[in-house]
Amino acid sequence: MAISSVTRWVENRRLSWPVDHLRSQQVHLLVVLALLAYPGFYHLLTSSSVSNLAVAILPRMDSMVAVLYFALFAMSFDFISGYTGYLSFGHAAFYGTGAYLVILVANGKIPLLPPGTPFMISLLLAGLLAALVAVVIGLVSFRLTGVYFAMVTLGFAQVMYVFVRGWNYVASNPRDGPAIGSTHPDGFEIGVPFVDQLNLAIGSFSGDEVTLLGHTLGTYTVSFYMVGLVVLLSYFAMQRVIHSPFGRVMIAIRENEERAEAVGYDTFRYKIGAFVMSAFFGGIAGGLFAGFKRSVTPESTFYFLTTGDALLASIIGGFGTLAGPLYGHLFDYGVREFLSNRGLGGGLLPYLQETLSQAVLTTTLPGGITVEGFIQAALNGHASLYVGIVFVLFVLYVPGGLLGTLRIGLGGKVSERLPAKLWGDR
Amino acid sequence: MTLLELHGVETYYGESHVLEGVTLSVEEGEVVALVGRNGVGKTTTLRSILQLTPPREGSVTYRGEELVGLGTHEVADRGVGWIPEDRRIFSQLSVAENVRVSVPDGRDTEAALTMAYDTFPVLDERRDQEAGTLSGGQQQMLSLARGLVGENALLLVDEPSEGLAPQIVADVADALNDAAKETTLLLVEQNLPLALDLADRFYVLDKGRVVDDGDTAEVSADDERLRRFLSA
Amino acid sequence: MTDPTVLTELTALALQAGFVDGLTDFLGPSNLASVVVEGLAKSAIYVMIASGLTLIFGLMGVLNFAHGSLTMIGAYLAGVVMVVLVGNATGQWTRMAFFFGALVVVFIALAFLGGVMEIGLIRELYTRPPIYQILLTFGLTLVLEETVRIVVQFYGLQPISEWQGALGTKPAFMATEHSLGPLSVRGLAAFEILLGLATVAAIWAFLTRTRYGLYIRAGSEDAEMAEALGIDVRRVFTVVFALGAGIAGVAGALLMWDPVWGASVPLAAETLLPAFVVVIIGGLGTFRGTVAGALVVGMADATTTWWFQNVFITWTWLPEMAVFLILVGMLVVKPQGLYGVEEVGGH
Repeated sequence: MAISSVTRWVENRRLSWPVDHLRSQQVHLLVVLALLAYPGFYHLLTSSSVSNLAVAILPRMDSMVAVLYFALFAMSFDFISGYTGYLSFGHAAFYGTGAYLVILVANGKIPLLPPGTPFMISLLLAGLLAALVAVVIGLVSFRLTGVYFAMVTLGFAQVMYVFVRGWNYVASNPRDGPAIGSTHPDGFEIGVPFVDQLNLAIGSFSGDEVTLLGHTLGTYTVSFYMVGLVVLLSYFAMQRVIHSPFGRVMIAIRENEERAEAVGYDTFRYKIGAFVMSAFFGGIAGGLFAGFKRSVTPESTFYFLTTGDALLASIIGGFGTLAGPLYGHLFDYGVREFLSNRGLGGGLLPYLQETLSQAVLTTTLPGGITVEGFIQAALNGHASLYVGIVFVLFVLYVPGGLLGTLRIGLGGKVSERLPAKLWGDR
Repeated sequence: MTLLELHGVETYYGESHVLEGVTLSVEEGEVVALVGRNGVGKTTTLRSILQLTPPREGSVTYRGEELVGLGTHEVADRGVGWIPEDRRIFSQLSVAENVRVSVPDGRDTEAALTMAYDTFPVLDERRDQEAGTLSGGQQQMLSLARGLVGENALLLVDEPSEGLAPQIVADVADALNDAAKETTLLLVEQNLPLALDLADRFYVLDKGRVVDDGDTAEVSADDERLRRFLSA
Repeated sequence: MTDPTVLTELTALALQAGFVDGLTDFLGPSNLASVVVEGLAKSAIYVMIASGLTLIFGLMGVLNFAHGSLTMIGAYLAGVVMVVLVGNATGQWTRMAFFFGALVVVFIALAFLGGVMEIGLIRELYTRPPIYQILLTFGLTLVLEETVRIVVQFYGLQPISEWQGALGTKPAFMATEHSLGPLSVRGLAAFEILLGLATVAAIWAFLTRTRYGLYIRAGSEDAEMAEALGIDVRRVFTVVFALGAGIAGVAGALLMWDPVWGASVPLAAETLLPAFVVVIIGGLGTFRGTVAGALVVGMADATTTWWFQNVFITWTWLPEMAVFLILVGMLVVKPQGLYGVEEVGGH
């Protein structure tokens, strides 16, 4: 509401250009504002009278950081897979490349790059190295289409997975993956490199805290904002590309590659270009992951199920919508946290234990199992089952995903149509 | 007796409207030729009969039974055979297997093989060869043989002479003439003299509609009546 | 990351470990023969986990991501049958008989599950781009694996590690080595080779000697033409999907006895990836190619395993890496695979 009244006010002053621009960004602004407000909202609710429920349902702050950087990875996956129709099943290779590079730089394992290299620079290098890897993989893989493309990219990623798992240069025990060592005890700073005042460090213990108007923002909240900043910039960069003539060729390739070729586009170059860009942002996402967590495993980076999680986020959020994977991953992660075991931010069981009487929890269900036992056996730690069912239902009946379906319902892109629907003009 | 009847058949490929109300009928024992330029919907008419591309409007009846809504294999089970454009033999199966797979369930496969080999001796010589290694003419023979062993009452034959040397075209014409003694044929053919020679009646298709029809005895291949719909 | 020191390190390691000595050793008759036997055993496993996948892809163009999950379910199911039936006193031949009984149970159960999957879910997607079939079957893996995990944990088993109870139902002669002339052969390896051969022969006979097999081969090449010849291709799809799932289950039953694999939830991913490699190397959808692909991968695996165990003992990644490098190399050089048709990805 507030944004709309502002834009209307400006419009009445006949400043039409910035108004149009602002108006087209209303939904983006709303989403960004909602995310900006989340830490405060979370803090408020979890210390209020409904705190039990809030703790149970709302993702924790550190989870939200993870949601953001992984959403960026899922968006980069959607950028190539959803827009050109080439399923990049080895996308984890780029995430892993970015993550490993950041850690190797910090551990002084990369020649010419000292451990003290600013994080913003190693993050950029993470993206660039991932892009370089994409050039190599792309030159081979884009000679193929369909299932074969998906398989060859998967093959490359698995080669890298097996390689880093056995390469004892990256870590003393490469199967468990590398961690940041003593050469880089400080948190990784996001901001303007070499200007100390314009940087804030991320991470749970190593991150910065900020005191603002008498309130202290914890390390997770600071990390959330700083990681969010990088994710937001990356999102807008990808969105610009999608809306450019280059992006239109990407969509033309998805819709009918032969026709795009017949019209005179060298589709091979466009595909490589799109692949390299998506790998760049995939690498950035991996770098953020490593910078926040300070240790990674081959399974959480190069393994094919990492790509699977991006796929999950894209399908549930909306394949070929770019922003959709954020909501898709928020859903995925939210369900996982809600149904996780106690001690991992588990939502459901502690909540029920506090709200229901012991008698209810120990009631025996048909089959001789108690309510608590049932939750432990069939719900907690088994979020994959429920997310999987949702995923299958989406593939079958909601192929547009959350955002895509909303777009169809509104008759156009949400960011364009929603304001028009709400305010009834243009 | 009317074997096949199409009434107001409208067929689409995606958004493009290919048949715009085709009406025609084929009597039992006849040979009917369907002629017209490229892309006017001749093959689509055959595909609509077979329910490979089911019509959106109109009806296709065979021996009085509606075919629209049936699966293609159910149409085939009722005795409608297809000898498609480009032959579409199973190139990785042997010649004998191509024939075997075409024999309806429960019928005598060995008798069918003997019949096919009697009609086309060249297939006998190459019975165990992979069908993909046959020459174009031999592949056409195999495709015809597949249609014949299917014990079909109606054969839909699409461009049987396309891409074949003149001598082989004559062989194919002989085989079709023989087939016509036992079954009804609906024939799509670009080679107008051949079509008129084989058929009793003809339909001319233009832009998805039937624009002319008659007995082949009434016309000759260079008649203006046909030529205006056939020359480019 | 081309650090020269790494290269020198590798070279030094190679020399230190005695590459030349290793080579002479490897080429010695007894070593070579045992590597070949191990390679055949591995090939037998690979052909069993990949056959169902290739039949399904060949006919319907569906790359079934849930295939590994079906193998995993087969392993657990066979394990249940064996653990229930076999006691300490059960004799070796009785155990064998129970195993073949378990194979039948697993085949029927998995074929039924596959048929239900095809009719209920996969069938919806034939008209959509092939990418959706990958997506759907990928989703099914999550559902199937998590369901198994719930059941397995409910009965107090550890889903991550191999089910020892099921491994223990093996007849004793499979757990020991037997000398065959100058050669020493593991009993289990010999059994795997025999069962693999029997499976290949059964599938081969079904495809080439039965009427239904003829329908499948015709439908794989040109489903529309097969349909126009009166074949109910939809029903053939269901049958083949059921068959493929059944074969996946039978492979799982065999792996339940092999300590390298064993019944566990991660078995799904462990078998899915090599199965993909095998079918792609052989040429997606050709059974002949899958047999050849399994031989290539099995032999490469056995060879690199020998080198890792005897010469480059720090290179733990060698066998697994070799498998995926063969995949990438094959796709670079000849994307359609050993026996695949030219039109790549044209599905």
